[in-house]
Amino acid sequence: MFGKRAFQLLKEQASCEDGQLIQFDQDAFDKVIKECDEHNNQLQSSIRKIEEQKLDIQTTRNENHFGAVIHHLSLIRNKRCLMSYMYNRAEIIQSYKWKNIGRILPREIQKKLNYSELEYFKNHSAVVDSYINELDLDLTVDMVPPKDPYIRVRVLDEIGNEVSLGDLALSLTKDSLHFLRRTDAEPFISQGLMEEFLE
Amino acid sequence: MASSWDEEFGSAGPTEEEAGSDVELLKRAWRNEKASPEILQFQSELIRRVHEQIQLQEERVEEFVNDKMDDLVVSLHQMDLDRTQYLLKSYLRIRLHKIEKYMFHISKTDLLNRLSEQEQIFTQRCIEIMEKHLHQSVLSKLPYGYQSVTKQSISSEEDDMVPAPELDTFVFCKTKSAVGAFQLDEMGDEIVDLVADDLYVLRYKSIKGLVENGQIDLI
Repeated sequence: MFGKRAFQLLKEQASCEDGQLIQFDQDAFDKVIKECDEHNNQLQSSIRKIEEQKLDIQTTRNENHFGAVIHHLSLIRNKRCLMSYMYNRAEIIQSYKWKNIGRILPREIQKKLNYSELEYFKNHSAVVDSYINELDLDLTVDMVPPKDPYIRVRVLDEIGNEVSLGDLALSLTKDSLHFLRRTDAEPFISQGLMEEFLE
Repeated sequence: MASSWDEEFGSAGPTEEEAGSDVELLKRAWRNEKASPEILQFQSELIRRVHEQIQLQEERVEEFVNDKMDDLVVSLHQMDLDRTQYLLKSYLRIRLHKIEKYMFHISKTDLLNRLSEQEQIFTQRCIEIMEKHLHQSVLSKLPYGYQSVTKQSISSEEDDMVPAPELDTFVFCKTKSAVGAFQLDEMGDEIVDLVADDLYVLRYKSIKGLVENGQIDLI
C-alpha cells in the first residue's frame, strides 16, 4: 500500500509524549526516500510512454496518465509526511533552547537526533542568542510571573563549592538549602539542578 | 505603582501618569499578543519607553541597597521591577514563538511589516537555518521537481506547504467603546451589536480589524 511506511513514521512520532522526541528512525526514513525514488521512476516511465505514443501530455487521459497521477500523488504524500516528521522534530528541538537546557544537550537527547538535527539545534541557539544580545535582555529567565523576589531552593545535584551568584559566593553542595533571588536561581531550576522548596 | 514611591522619595523618575499607564499599556499589548493567533503590530515606542524605565528603576534599586534602605522597601521596588520585566520579556517571547512557528508565512505576507527590525533579522535567520536543515535531511534526497520547501512540487501553482495561523479560532474579547452593528462575516449573515465594555466570544477573523484599531481588546 502506497504511503504506509511514511504513515508509520509519523505514527511513531505522534505516539510520543508531547514535547518529547523518539529516536530518529533512519531506517524507516531511508525506506520512504527509496519509495519516492521508485514512484518517480514509474512516473517518468509513464510520461515517456505517453510521449512515445505521440499523444498530448496535458490532455491525454489513458492508463499511463492515471498511473502517472497516482505515482505523483503518492510521491507528494510521502514528501509531506517526511517534511512533517522533520518539521515537528525541529519544533521540539527549538523548545530545548527555551527550556534553558544549556549549550550542549544531555546525552539521552543527543542520541535521539540525527546529524542535521544536532547542527540545527546549534544554529537555532545561536540565532536566538544573537537576538537576545541585540536587545540586551536575557529572555531565557523570568519564565513565570514573579511571586516573590526571593525563594528557598534545595540543591539537587552537586553544583560546586565556590559558586558566585551576583556578589555572593555560595557553597552549592547536594541537598543544601539556600534563600536566593529568583533570577539567580532560575537557570539552575530549569536545568533540574535545584528545586524550589515550598513549605 | 512604581511612581508613587518616586513622589515620596523625590527622585527624578517618570511622572505618575506616564509610568502607571505605560505598564498598563504593556499589559494590554501582552494580553492581546497572548490571545491572538497571529502576530500583531510591534509596539516599538512603548517597548523603548518600558525598557528605559526598567533600567532607571534597576539603578534606583541599587542605590537603595547601597544606601542601606529598609529591606521591605527595597523588595517592594524589586517586586515591581520584576513584574514589569516579566511582562516585557513574556511579550517578546510570545512574538518570537509565533515567528518560529510561522516563519515562512510571515516572510511571504505583509505580516513581516508588523515586526521590529531585530525580529525581521531573526525571521530571516530562522528561515535560513530551517531551509538548510530540511534541504540537508530530506529535500536533497527527493527526486528533481520535488525539492522545494514551500511547494509540494514544481507543478504546484502556489506555495502549498506553508503553515499559517488559524484565524478562525474563537477568542474572548472586550469592547472599549461602542461599535454598533457589526458584520461578522462576508456574507452578511450575522450581525452583532457591539456595545461598549461588554464581553464577547467571537472568531478572531471577524474582529481582526477592530483589534488593530484598538477598539477591542483580547482577553
